[in-house]
Amino acid sequence: MSKKDFFIGWAEMPDADRRFFLKAGAGLLIGAAGVAGFVAASQRPVGRGTWDLATFKAFTGIVTASPYPMLRTRDIDGQVRTALLVCQTKCGVDLRLQNMAGKAVVINGSLIQRVDHASIAVADGPEWIREADAPVDPALAFPTPEPLGEITLAGEILDSKCWFGAMRPGEGKVHKACASLCIRSGIPPAFFARDARDNAALLVMTENGGRFGESLLAHVADPVEVTGAVSRAGNVLLLDVSADSVRRV
Amino acid sequence: MTHGYRAVSWMPFKKRYDFWVVGGILTYIVSFVIATIATQPDGESLTELQILIRATGTLAFLMLSFVLVIGPLARITPRFRPLLFNRRHLGVATFVIALVHAALVILWYHGFGTLNPFVSLFASNPNYDALAGFPFESLGVLALTIMFLMAATSHDFWNANLGPGLWKALHMGVYLAFALVVAHIALGALQFEKHVAYTVLLIVAVLAVVGLQFAGVLASRRPVDAAADGWLSVGEGAEIDDGTAVIVRPAEGEAIAVFRHGEEIYAVSNVCRHQAGPLGEGRIVDGCITCPWHGFQYRMADGTSPPPYTEKIATYATRIVEGRVEVSAMPNAPGTPQAPSRLRSAP
Repeated sequence: MSKKDFFIGWAEMPDADRRFFLKAGAGLLIGAAGVAGFVAASQRPVGRGTWDLATFKAFTGIVTASPYPMLRTRDIDGQVRTALLVCQTKCGVDLRLQNMAGKAVVINGSLIQRVDHASIAVADGPEWIREADAPVDPALAFPTPEPLGEITLAGEILDSKCWFGAMRPGEGKVHKACASLCIRSGIPPAFFARDARDNAALLVMTENGGRFGESLLAHVADPVEVTGAVSRAGNVLLLDVSADSVRRV
Repeated sequence: MTHGYRAVSWMPFKKRYDFWVVGGILTYIVSFVIATIATQPDGESLTELQILIRATGTLAFLMLSFVLVIGPLARITPRFRPLLFNRRHLGVATFVIALVHAALVILWYHGFGTLNPFVSLFASNPNYDALAGFPFESLGVLALTIMFLMAATSHDFWNANLGPGLWKALHMGVYLAFALVVAHIALGALQFEKHVAYTVLLIVAVLAVVGLQFAGVLASRRPVDAAADGWLSVGEGAEIDDGTAVIVRPAEGEAIAVFRHGEEIYAVSNVCRHQAGPLGEGRIVDGCITCPWHGFQYRMADGTSPPPYTEKIATYATRIVEGRVEVSAMPNAPGTPQAPSRLRSAP
């Protein structure tokens, strides 16, 4: 018996094993491409959210701090829109807003947008906000929320920044930890509701009219049912609930 | 073997093996990225980093599954032994891909917040008491830890210094790692991606690993051979092909490989000291018994690796009774010289 017909890694490879090894290698490459293509093509679409990280622009409007930092502006698409204000990373801007609430301001940031929902990731550093040089359109003043009634909704609690486009996907179980970290760090939580007719809506969540604390974190990204009061403030829907009313389904 | 250690004892076959492994990895990742971008609706694709998280995650699982089926495939057919020879490189590559997956997840999902990313990894999802909501990340961390221990001890240095038994036991942890990864996927990605293809792929991979393990065990299982007066019957000496062995299994102790070399009959333990490969499925090459898994060699006369190597295996006495070969059920101490039996007297 010789090394010529018995495979030993440190010796010359037998012809039969060499042929098999070449076929196996070629099969590996073809199989890798095929399986990768199949697995990738089976992923579900994750939504139309975008975040143009590279483009910073000035947004002029009126800013508020309650229930979350928001800016009413025409500088998104020419219409009066409300944009949630967040940091470039996973944090809110409450502490950076200081005494600017209620004033006409110019904010420097990059736009995160998903269809009608918008958020502005404000620039780092103190230059992110300044008072506007001239008076702004009075229509940009924040409207008093209009109560729409009590409702029970089924859906998912998520963080607004990721779902608007900072991440794709920005929802579901795999994104749960990130959403939890974002909300813990000050990003406004939102409720994505879908009814039996597949109508979907996104509502910014509040507790007793103010911002949510960590009481919501255990339920983030789970399939849940909530009961609360819905109101409309401009183009933003608000859902005021108690964390105790959140129920996993 | 044990006379000295280098990080990698390169040889032409290992380079060819690694070439295909790296080629397969790159092909998978590039194909995954292209297919994701090409098949998602315009403007609705995943972010680039999240595509890489999925590409590396799915690839690590497929590679781990493949690593686990190489062993049984090599037991079922010798054709797969070339894949077994350098399997440790494939295992280390699997760990590296899994590590990249974990690093990207920690950076993207757990970084940039007010919590330490490693605290966030375990604390962001507190639902440890729920099944569907279970924090699947922790299962992935456990699996990665096991894979790290295995990758770190994959070198022959650890094999020799931990001893084959402990080393083998440690590396059996790969099955626990595989189970943890399956749970990590089932309680994580499959809770979001509902396409039936993912569930089918996971089930097929699990069935392939479990099924081939059973098939491999069945293929290498041997009934216990009965001993009479301490001697086991091997069979007609003329029926043993020159340079090969017949494996017999005593009621107690290791299986025995009975080799024929010309007219001489030698018997040694069937268990290679390197990674417990089946020596009886090997050959006599250059006058040495050669393991079919990694080419470790032992002299027939005393079961000792030729210098400068030092591994030793047990030898056994043999005898010829009316043309039939018999082997003693009692092993000699490893490395003990043992004279061969002769099928025919020397002229």
